[in-house]
Amino acid sequence: MNRNYILLTILMLALATGTLFLKKTPNYNEIKPQKLLWEIIQPTRYVTTDQVAKMIINKDQTLELVDVRDTKSYEKFSLSGAINVPLDSIAATSNQDYFGLPGIKVVFYSNDDIAADEAWVLTRRLGYKDTYVMKGGLNCWIRTVIQPQQPSEDAPYTEFEKYHFRKGAQIYFTGANIEQGSAGKSKVSIRRKKKKAVAAGGC
Amino acid sequence: MHVHDLNPKKALATIIIFVIIIILGFVTLKRPKFIYKVSLQESIELLKDKNAYFYPWQLVDVINKVDNNIVLIDIRDIFSYGQGHIPGSENISAYDLTSKKYIEYLNRLNAEGKTVVLYGNDQLEANGPWMWFKQVGYENFKVLLGGYKYYLAHKDNLEETKSDKSYILEVPDFNFAEVANKGASIQSTTKNTKVPVIKRKKKKTVAAGGC
Repeated sequence: MNRNYILLTILMLALATGTLFLKKTPNYNEIKPQKLLWEIIQPTRYVTTDQVAKMIINKDQTLELVDVRDTKSYEKFSLSGAINVPLDSIAATSNQDYFGLPGIKVVFYSNDDIAADEAWVLTRRLGYKDTYVMKGGLNCWIRTVIQPQQPSEDAPYTEFEKYHFRKGAQIYFTGANIEQGSAGKSKVSIRRKKKKAVAAGGC
Repeated sequence: MHVHDLNPKKALATIIIFVIIIILGFVTLKRPKFIYKVSLQESIELLKDKNAYFYPWQLVDVINKVDNNIVLIDIRDIFSYGQGHIPGSENISAYDLTSKKYIEYLNRLNAEGKTVVLYGNDQLEANGPWMWFKQVGYENFKVLLGGYKYYLAHKDNLEETKSDKSYILEVPDFNFAEVANKGASIQSTTKNTKVPVIKRKKKKTVAAGGC
């Protein structure tokens, strides 16, 4: 047998055994830390409660709401169509199927926005794209969408636009049958066309 | 030409050169500036550590220069910092945190075992950067609860904020299930709540919005 063959075989075997000592890396695709920090600093991940309300009302199929509170709170109340992935178990393999679906926008929410933002950081580290955070969380949701406050007389026009949208959303989400302010009600029905122009805003 | 026609000496030389190139590659491989030192699950556990947070009333010692072991870092931009900041804090904008000049400084602080407290306008602004530092192995980094806004509102009575819990976030302000299903009754009951006060403040930032 040729000596070269033996030499090559030994070399390959040596390299192969070397792979045994490679450090075990997790099977997900973590992004580089530097990149993660850069993205953390950008405020582009935040969506307002109005935007989320709009997507729910429009039955946006690309929206995936993820409730990161504990299961108990989730069962008591959650936004329509939301799934529950508690922050504690966000790294669990069984929960990975919820993220990184092509064309799906994942929006995290919690009572405020800290836990949702933490979920965002963790899943972003795992490399999942198209993830967002509902700014203000459910507390803001109630204040803006469920209990909208009428702007004062001298408020800018956009405030009124926002308010009318929210009144419409309130009716949608609570089934409230609001009699008073019929003028406001008719504006709500017109709203649909203008929706794109509405300045988004939070609490 | 078949392999067994190869000149054994030539083959050996090729193999040696091959191996040398690989070794050279490994030696000159640039070490990444940061690597995750904390696994994902561990960093979730870290979030529950009460000691990883800095409480507003703890600022008293820093402002009065009683505790020299704590370094306050304002991560807002230089303009916000110029308009007002917590006394004794230093300004390193979030964008500059890992620039050569500042990361060397932060590394030194970390090596000296100093406690580095990051703060932004609110907790959320500094929370992400704080999480990041924790994940890449800066153990002594903390985030200021409530952020600058809370400090500004309570700067004259920081000691008393020990009993105040309003800077603790993720507490539901409502019974969601009840409020969200109330329907028509909402109209009458919410008119007199404290909510309008919050709305007014935000009006100034019409375009930006957000909580």
